[in-house]
Amino acid sequence: MVPSLRLRAVSVEFPIYSGGSRSLKKLLFNTTTQGNLARDARDRIMVQALTGVDLDIEHGDRLAIIGANGAGKSTLLKVLAGIYAPTHGRVYANGRVSALLTASVGLNPDATGRENIINRGMYMDVHPRQMRARIDEIAAFSELGYYIDMPVRTYSSGMMIRLCFAVATSLRPEILLMDEWLAAGDAAFLAKARQRMEDFVSGSSILVLASHSMALLREWCNRAILLDRGRIVAAGEVDEVEAAYAARHG
Amino acid sequence: MVSLANPKIESGGAAEWPAQPGAAALAWRDLVEGFARVWMWPVLALQDVRLRYRGSVLGPFWLTISMLLMVGGMGIVYSQLFGMEVRSYLPFLAVGLIVWQFLSGMITEGCETFLREATVIQQVRIPFSIHAYRGVFRNVIVLAHNLILVPFGIAIFSLPVGWHLLAVVPALVVLVINGLWISLLLGMISARFRDVPPIVASVLQALFFLTPVIWPLAALKEWRIIATANPFFAAVDVLRAPLIGVATADSSWPMLLAMTAIGCTVTFVAFARFRARIAYWI
Repeated sequence: MVPSLRLRAVSVEFPIYSGGSRSLKKLLFNTTTQGNLARDARDRIMVQALTGVDLDIEHGDRLAIIGANGAGKSTLLKVLAGIYAPTHGRVYANGRVSALLTASVGLNPDATGRENIINRGMYMDVHPRQMRARIDEIAAFSELGYYIDMPVRTYSSGMMIRLCFAVATSLRPEILLMDEWLAAGDAAFLAKARQRMEDFVSGSSILVLASHSMALLREWCNRAILLDRGRIVAAGEVDEVEAAYAARHG
Repeated sequence: MVSLANPKIESGGAAEWPAQPGAAALAWRDLVEGFARVWMWPVLALQDVRLRYRGSVLGPFWLTISMLLMVGGMGIVYSQLFGMEVRSYLPFLAVGLIVWQFLSGMITEGCETFLREATVIQQVRIPFSIHAYRGVFRNVIVLAHNLILVPFGIAIFSLPVGWHLLAVVPALVVLVINGLWISLLLGMISARFRDVPPIVASVLQALFFLTPVIWPLAALKEWRIIATANPFFAAVDVLRAPLIGVATADSSWPMLLAMTAIGCTVTFVAFARFRARIAYWI
């Protein structure tokens, strides 16, 4: 089956639990007193993170998600990754998804690089036996050297990024979702990562990348959407969408 | 607003939009698929235990030793307080403490089921039940380290050996099932209400003194109802009684099975209802 991601009328409402609403004690207390605490315990603020998003991402698409801070880029990626179940609408993902949403990617800081590679593989439904066969290749790409047997908490942020990227791409996912953090890598890493992506995108098929770095998006992507307060407001070629973004946000 | 839906797919590709299963079906699938990754959660649980003791010479056997020290110290003092013979009190106390530690471990760590895996839950989509299987299995591993003491205890105190020891197996199975629903239920509640883990910890502490672990059931005299109405007594009793070679209290199995049935039902309903919210709460 050809990998694809489809979203229909997807909305995500996000409760922000602040102080009092995080407390069971206050919630229970609140039902009996109805006093000032009521406001305190009920002060859930609903954030409308995505509103009515329709999107089809097909084989060969390298989609850039552009938008200001808080426009819903990360939420959209989490919906695409199946982490957030949308409050309304439907998501249909076809294909093996690998999401690199933050640099830490569920790394266990006390475990070694080697152990974390195995763990990450398991989280991707890959048996440790298969994963062990890839360790050398992953270690070579991420230039970890001796650090592969050291706890991850001793790694520099560059090493962590390289490790996570190497693991995520070594699994040859059909759909790769990446957030902002990739741009935190240095130029040498980005060049290397780009090379690896080329191999991988030709073999597999979908890349979705959210970033503020227009240079990065222009280089890596062939389609773009512009998000503004949770809605898709423009779509098309990266250059066009970038212009739309510039027009909106100066 | 721009719609990027492909009109061809919208109309013609109905086959690509399978009917959405209900919440109960999804919850059940989560439980089954999580369990099916039986090559995954035991590995993670073992790693948890290993990491906790990395760098210490004795590793997880520190647990065994600290248990031994606690039992030795308490055994001498409390056998005097309760006017019991050390020979019969020590095995009772030792096994009671081991079982209590197993139960309280599953419950306190059960609160952290989803919280401690927040980064994973935020990054990858895996069945939520895996976190519960992993946590319970971690506590089974710790229990196994403590149970090493039991054969020695049986030999030293010449406790009866026989077929009655087989009652340990169903007891363990039922306790593990209870551990699973508690991990899922408390895990969800704690993810939503962050004051639940400390509340649970203090309630457990109080229950420790209300449950016949360091004192014998007989000490209650006509107030035995305090213990027999306490599900924690039932849980401790079904595992402790066969190991120290005494009869299980009549109330224990019915109480425990009722707990299991009610707990599993409530948890399944809650899991079906709130499973999709866990990622938002974390």
